[in-house]
Amino acid sequence: MDVPQTVTVALDDRPVAGRRCLEAGAGAGNATAGLLANGAARVYAVTNDRDHARTTRRRVGRDDGDGSDGDDGVDESDGDRLAVLEADLRAVPLPDDSVGVITAHGLCNVLDPASLSAVAEEFSRVASPGAQLVVDDYDPLPDGAAIGGLFAVENAASELARGRPALTFYPAAFLRRFFAGHGWEFERERTLLEPVPWTESHVSAHGDRAVSMAKEHPGEPCDALAATARRLATDIGSESVGRMYGLAFRFPE
Amino acid sequence: MQTRPLGDTGHDSTVMTFGAIALNWLEQEGANQLVEHVLDYGVNHFDVAPEYGDAELKLGPKLRQHREEIFLGCKTQERTYEGAWRKLERSLNRLGVDAIDLYQVHGLEYDEELDAITGDDGALAAFREAKEQGLIDHIGLTSHGDPGLILDALDRVDDLESLMFPLNPVVAGKDDDEYDYEAVLARADEKNVGTLGIKAFAGGSWPPTDELPESDRPFANWYRPVTAPDEVRERFDFAAAQGLTSVVSAGDPKLVTMILEAAADYDGMDEAAQRSLIERVRHDDSPVPEQLHH
Repeated sequence: MDVPQTVTVALDDRPVAGRRCLEAGAGAGNATAGLLANGAARVYAVTNDRDHARTTRRRVGRDDGDGSDGDDGVDESDGDRLAVLEADLRAVPLPDDSVGVITAHGLCNVLDPASLSAVAEEFSRVASPGAQLVVDDYDPLPDGAAIGGLFAVENAASELARGRPALTFYPAAFLRRFFAGHGWEFERERTLLEPVPWTESHVSAHGDRAVSMAKEHPGEPCDALAATARRLATDIGSESVGRMYGLAFRFPE
Repeated sequence: MQTRPLGDTGHDSTVMTFGAIALNWLEQEGANQLVEHVLDYGVNHFDVAPEYGDAELKLGPKLRQHREEIFLGCKTQERTYEGAWRKLERSLNRLGVDAIDLYQVHGLEYDEELDAITGDDGALAAFREAKEQGLIDHIGLTSHGDPGLILDALDRVDDLESLMFPLNPVVAGKDDDEYDYEAVLARADEKNVGTLGIKAFAGGSWPPTDELPESDRPFANWYRPVTAPDEVRERFDFAAAQGLTSVVSAGDPKLVTMILEAAADYDGMDEAAQRSLIERVRHDDSPVPEQLHH
């Protein structure tokens, strides 16, 4: 698979080769692919989402062992260097001081503040001295962004269904100080995307997620939220707005 | 319009090159008007080929009128000495000019073709003779095939002064070697060889002909182009920002004014915006559903 430019740029000044890595929140496997392409000794891709685990294994892991070679920059041995673990990041199934690189690529925005704090505790626990932490995420959307309306509906549906927001966009300056508070030394900030292209596929994925969460909590308000989510996703189509940033930290020796 | 040195040729090309295939779709009067329109924007580099229908013939009158203002690129798909000479003379006749500024090996695709053009009886032998006789000034090569082959050509042909190859955000987002035209650009820069970008405005392939017959396509391009002014502008900016000498305009005359406007206004594109465009087209193309993030 092609490693997205966001991942390439977020990692290109980080020492990854030969290190054991934790990719926190595997998603579609993008950062996992980037870590492997950069020569990680081993990547533990941890996610609590079974579909994401399956997608990551399929796209990156080559578990099928079909022997096809790397026409995609990921070589045949990646299956051996990758472990996809289905687990809660608030209780990472790895020992203390065991990883040299942690990536949280587009993770923090799906963690509410309480979960973010618990996950940060785990990062500090599993990080070995000198470890790298890469945090890539989105600044809060500017006022007037149409997609902000869709995210608001997604959050409302999530609050009703699960009692917590689906998305929280933490400013770069906030996460910088937050991880510093967890013992990490800040090294640099980069702009990965500006504007952020929320494509039709992103917009419809967020719309679908809002609808499915609304359905978890039957009743009039959620029916209205589901209908609004569908309408907004159609009306918005796609929108390029906001900024995705990349932060890098180092754990003291 | 900005200009950039075309390698070691001594010519400074405008950041947009006019792809004169667009003239093929116009009557002579319209073709004349389009050339005047392009020149009004200050474009000084034109590119044509005998394969582009009547484009050479339709370019002729205005080319002759404005010969001093136009750096003329032409090309040949012939790979042999005899064939290249024949096509060069035919192009000179059809264009009605004494000399062509840049004559290019057109559409190199296979290793055997590189062997053929570099052989004793190959096209490049004819190019060099023509250069000695003053019929052409500079030698170039075009390819939308394997970047590795273009790199080989760059190594094997010492007197190459320009390369023409695809560069756009779709290609830039792919990691495979078969799309690594960035490596071609980097090597060409090292060797001070000029670089001309094609397919900057490609949006994707056309649907299969059983879904959309060729006669029902709304544009004359080989590929489905981007057509909204903002998209055309960001595609131009992206290609120009990669460091190409010049970006060749799309082959359909309906798109040319938008590209001229973009080229006239070009003032760079920052890297985060370039990545944003790569990321957007990657997702438009992506087989992976349900991605909430980038």
